[in-house]
Amino acid sequence: MPEMKKLYEIGNRPREIFLSPDGETPTRRSRVPFTRRHWLKWRSRYNPKSLKLEKRLEDKKPLWWMLSLGLLLLVTPFLGNSALTVASIFCMFAAINVLWTLIIGTAGIFSLATLAVVGVSGYAAAAFNVYLGVPWPFMFVIGCLTGLVAGGVLALPSTRLDGLYFALLTLGIVEICRVFVQQLKSLGATNGSINQVDSFIPSDWFLQREGLLLGFFGAFALLLGALLLFKLVNSERLGMLLQTARDEEAFAEAIGIDYRRARLMVFMISSAGLGIIGAFYAMYYRSISPSIFSLDQLLLLFAMIVIGGIGRADGAVLGTAIVVLIDKGLLDLGPVRILIVAAIMLLVTLLTNNGLVGAREQFRNYRNRKKSEARARRTEKGGEVMPEEATDMPDKQEIFYRRFNKRLRDELKLLITPELIEEHRRKPLGRHSDALSRVLNYFRRSEMPDKYAILRQPENFNHYKIVALSGERGAPPRLVDDRLYESIDEAYHAVFLLRVNDLLES
Amino acid sequence: MANTRIFGYSDPLCLKAGETVDFKVSVEGARTVNAQLVRLIHGDENPLGPGFVEEEIRSSIPAEISVKRQFTQIGSFAIADDEERKLDGLQSFTLFAHFFATRIKAERQQIMGQWCVDEQKGYGLGLDPSGHVSLWLGNGGKVDQIVSETRVVERCWYFVAATYDGTSGRASLRLINCVNSWNSRISTVVPFGLDSWIEEKLATKPARTAGHVRFMLAGASETNAQRGPHTTLLFNGKIDRCGVFGRAVATDEIGALSRGEMKSGDGLVAHWDTTAGYTDKGIGDTIQDIGPNAIHLEGVNRPVRGMTGFNWRGADSFRLAPREFGGVHFHDDALTDSNWDTTLSLDVPDDLKSGVYALRLDGGGTQDYVPFIVRPKRPKAKIAFLLPTFTYLAYANEHLAYEAPIAQAITAHTPVIVAEDLEYKKLEEFGLSTYDHHTDGAGCCYSSWRRPIISMRPKYRMPAMNFPWALPADLSLIWWLEHAGYDYDLITDHDLHAEGKSALDPYKVVLNGTHPEYYSEEMMDATEAYLADGGRVMYLGGNGYYWVTGLRADEPHCIEVRKLDTGSRAWQAEPGEGYLACTGERSGLWRSRGRAPQKIVGLGFTAEGMDESQPFERMPDSFHKRASWIFEGLGERELIGDFGLAGGGAAGIELDRYEQGLGTPPHTLLLASSWGHSDNYPLVSEEVTYAFPGRGGTQDAQVRGDMIYFTTPNNGAVFASGSIAWSQALPCHGGENNVGRIMRNVLNAFIRDGALPGSEFTGEEKLWR
Repeated sequence: MPEMKKLYEIGNRPREIFLSPDGETPTRRSRVPFTRRHWLKWRSRYNPKSLKLEKRLEDKKPLWWMLSLGLLLLVTPFLGNSALTVASIFCMFAAINVLWTLIIGTAGIFSLATLAVVGVSGYAAAAFNVYLGVPWPFMFVIGCLTGLVAGGVLALPSTRLDGLYFALLTLGIVEICRVFVQQLKSLGATNGSINQVDSFIPSDWFLQREGLLLGFFGAFALLLGALLLFKLVNSERLGMLLQTARDEEAFAEAIGIDYRRARLMVFMISSAGLGIIGAFYAMYYRSISPSIFSLDQLLLLFAMIVIGGIGRADGAVLGTAIVVLIDKGLLDLGPVRILIVAAIMLLVTLLTNNGLVGAREQFRNYRNRKKSEARARRTEKGGEVMPEEATDMPDKQEIFYRRFNKRLRDELKLLITPELIEEHRRKPLGRHSDALSRVLNYFRRSEMPDKYAILRQPENFNHYKIVALSGERGAPPRLVDDRLYESIDEAYHAVFLLRVNDLLES
Repeated sequence: MANTRIFGYSDPLCLKAGETVDFKVSVEGARTVNAQLVRLIHGDENPLGPGFVEEEIRSSIPAEISVKRQFTQIGSFAIADDEERKLDGLQSFTLFAHFFATRIKAERQQIMGQWCVDEQKGYGLGLDPSGHVSLWLGNGGKVDQIVSETRVVERCWYFVAATYDGTSGRASLRLINCVNSWNSRISTVVPFGLDSWIEEKLATKPARTAGHVRFMLAGASETNAQRGPHTTLLFNGKIDRCGVFGRAVATDEIGALSRGEMKSGDGLVAHWDTTAGYTDKGIGDTIQDIGPNAIHLEGVNRPVRGMTGFNWRGADSFRLAPREFGGVHFHDDALTDSNWDTTLSLDVPDDLKSGVYALRLDGGGTQDYVPFIVRPKRPKAKIAFLLPTFTYLAYANEHLAYEAPIAQAITAHTPVIVAEDLEYKKLEEFGLSTYDHHTDGAGCCYSSWRRPIISMRPKYRMPAMNFPWALPADLSLIWWLEHAGYDYDLITDHDLHAEGKSALDPYKVVLNGTHPEYYSEEMMDATEAYLADGGRVMYLGGNGYYWVTGLRADEPHCIEVRKLDTGSRAWQAEPGEGYLACTGERSGLWRSRGRAPQKIVGLGFTAEGMDESQPFERMPDSFHKRASWIFEGLGERELIGDFGLAGGGAAGIELDRYEQGLGTPPHTLLLASSWGHSDNYPLVSEEVTYAFPGRGGTQDAQVRGDMIYFTTPNNGAVFASGSIAWSQALPCHGGENNVGRIMRNVLNAFIRDGALPGSEFTGEEKLWR
């Protein structure tokens, strides 16, 4: 008698809020302008337990975005000046990281020249403003164009170089930019900086409360813009194309997706966006210095997206928030901050698969794995169904079939004797003993998938091999083994032996 | 596996000498193949018999013919006869339909619409892969859609109305649950209740489609370079009354439409009344438009008519309540006509011997036989062999061994398949038999000869039992008739159905094939009248005259049967759906309609099993002088047919029994019976009222095959050996065996005019023993 497993009660109360649509009045779905997307993904389903119609928000991310960004927008104006600055820096860095995520995640190009693009564009915009007197609103245009050109130049080698080599190359370019700016004679006096840049913040508000507030709102708008760009690129056509290519490049190419071109497009679009951020950066500080090209800044940014999770906008923003809070919010701690960031980064890389935003998915996978392990411990293959398994079986009759067949097999196993096998060998078809009839009838009634059949060989009427049927219309059977049987009775008996073997192993 | 694939069919399947037969051939991997006309004499390659025997026939067919790949349109759907293109280019519209989805699948399914898949133009209403109802529009560049709130529950009736207003771009989709106590899989106790009503502004306007794109029910137009125009997005399920308005209709109008109240409101473009056209003789493929424009729909691949509709309330047939039978069932794997181009025609010479012929095609290491049956221009012989062509169609391309989990339990065999089988099944483009289920689980009720049929290939063995079945099995009797030197004509079920008794009248004796299972009323009447008029029948099969079968007079290629209530049935028609759409008759077993086969040939189905056949043993009646001449040359206790190509005996596979209660004539002599069947021969279900154990061959006396003889008026008679395996015992031992001896004794007597031997022994029995 096998050990009886304890049977646990199952069942949960719903933890979500549902709406109940009624069919008497129309539901009006509205869309995000210029797209075919709905604002929110409300979807209905019949609850499988009650069959009641439930309408639930299937994608809750927009809700979290609204809550967190709304909170930021509402609370920040009431914070002190230093906190206001931290919030603005957060917005700017988050915007940079969101676009960087497009490059690394969506386009799959491992570029470390993100800050270089921001810097080059910032310098260009500032130079046009300071030396050529271009008014500040045009700085965005200049930043954008510079970003585009810089992106184009960087993109060229990306098709020739793979992963790590391209990353090293971009790191080199960052360094070249820094050295170039620092050694420019004309900027020698300011140690490579361009100062006195005009800005959207009036000069008499600069470093005043009003100026800081305006700066924050500007940075917030910048972040919103970056998120919108991310959404437009990542979730629309370009992103879809690249999604396909990521799974299977050769397949994507075969069905006519030019994924290289799509990658370059994403790279260029993101670089143009980074250019705008560069211009904004120069305006926000009213100056730009070579520190933007510094390696520590770059690595800090890198820490942000690693902590948050590469490839997702929410990851970029969350990672930025954490690192900026520590780096800029806890200035009193001094150099320990850097150690804390490094420790968090280490922990995140050690413990999670894809940053903090991937933790939920990871947890679910972990729970599912544990669940299957527990089920594997508690049930045997083809044995009694446990209450927790029954929830996954919509046709409850299957559960009884499992019980019945398990008990039937246990009985039939006792009937398998050498005499019974010999009886079948002597006469595979026709009238049999009661025991053999029972065993055969069980074999014959089994389900179609993987059911044995005999394949007559074309060269000889009495040559046979054994196959297993697919059970699926149009899908051919598979050869069980290559053995050739030279009479039909031999083949029938070979199938019988295979089935006896399957029975005894079950 | 060979790289060349050869498939073909002949149209018609059976014809008179002097008529023309068309061969439709599709070949992949070769431009030309060798062709040769052959007469088929024996099919079964079993070394215990004569093996495969064919005779090459000189004919006008060239030795080499050029061939091409031909495509098959599978799936049933209906095409609008919209010559004025009133349904194309609609800017504002309403599409409405009652529908009953039977299978949500991974592809989109169109219920109705004017939609071009490749150009993404037009409009369509259907189900998306998740089972939501969707209305989609396309302008050639962009497609937009509105999707219902709820998913459709399979096998439940719904009403859907989709409106679109071209000026505002607003679309609405309203799905109304129509489940009542009768019409669906589930009843009103299930709380799947709520309707769905969605409104949304769409970004695309529907564009006018190209000229070849047609408005369709249950499918949509697609074109590609290799195949040309064809139909995809096939729908599985029933569609009831439906239609199109040229405007977005108002809410209260939708309510009325959902209740089936139709006022021909303004802007009505088409209103298809699926219940229009029923007569007591059934209904055709045309779905009538009762609106102002009369844009009728024409069914392709026989959408199944006579099905219960959304308002069905339990009536047994469309003949009782036609308005409740608006259901038209569409299947994505239905096939009644491959519609291939004719590759080659043969004018059959007037003097060609009656026989089973085939066009033998060879190429690239592959061979195919395209069979056809030739009947003499005018009856020549005294013997007619009635080939059960209805049975050939009923089993055409059956999938039992591959798809029916119980098939191995029925046959008690492990199936034996061959490479050709896999080639046929690979693309699944040659349709199903009446033993198979469509992809949505519904039984297949139509079978046609206008498609390649592997189970009619001469060497083919039915995988589930590993012996020939139907036509290849009947070739054993043809071989024996040739061997024994009898002159015979072939006629077919189709001839008997079309011509009635006059097809049999010219013959002294008519022989049935191994399995004359599918009979129409015309065939029953003709056989009965022939016997009553002095005709002589040798019923040499099992499970004959069983299913009520019908066909349309002008479309003999396609038979219809509804498996019903009782009998050995591969499927069971849904309640109310048991009447033949092509004749208006109740289908099911002839026995259930008062015409058990015993009433005509004395025997009827009693058991089947495929593991092992047994011999017949003489019964006392075989020693009565009325019939003892049949056993001339046989010993008193000689086992009759302890050999055979089907299970090793003459009595087996499917067995028929003498039963006075079911109509066996009272003066019938029970000549012989078989004994010793295994429990894999259970008593058939139509004999089982209460179920109790012990109905198998080792315990139930009704499990046996009988051999009987009785006389009919005007010197007529029936000799019957109720076993499918009978004729397949004939070729054993070189064709000289005791089964053949009995056949000769009976045939020799039956072909003679006048009184039958033994007919004088009708006196009272005054016995001393």
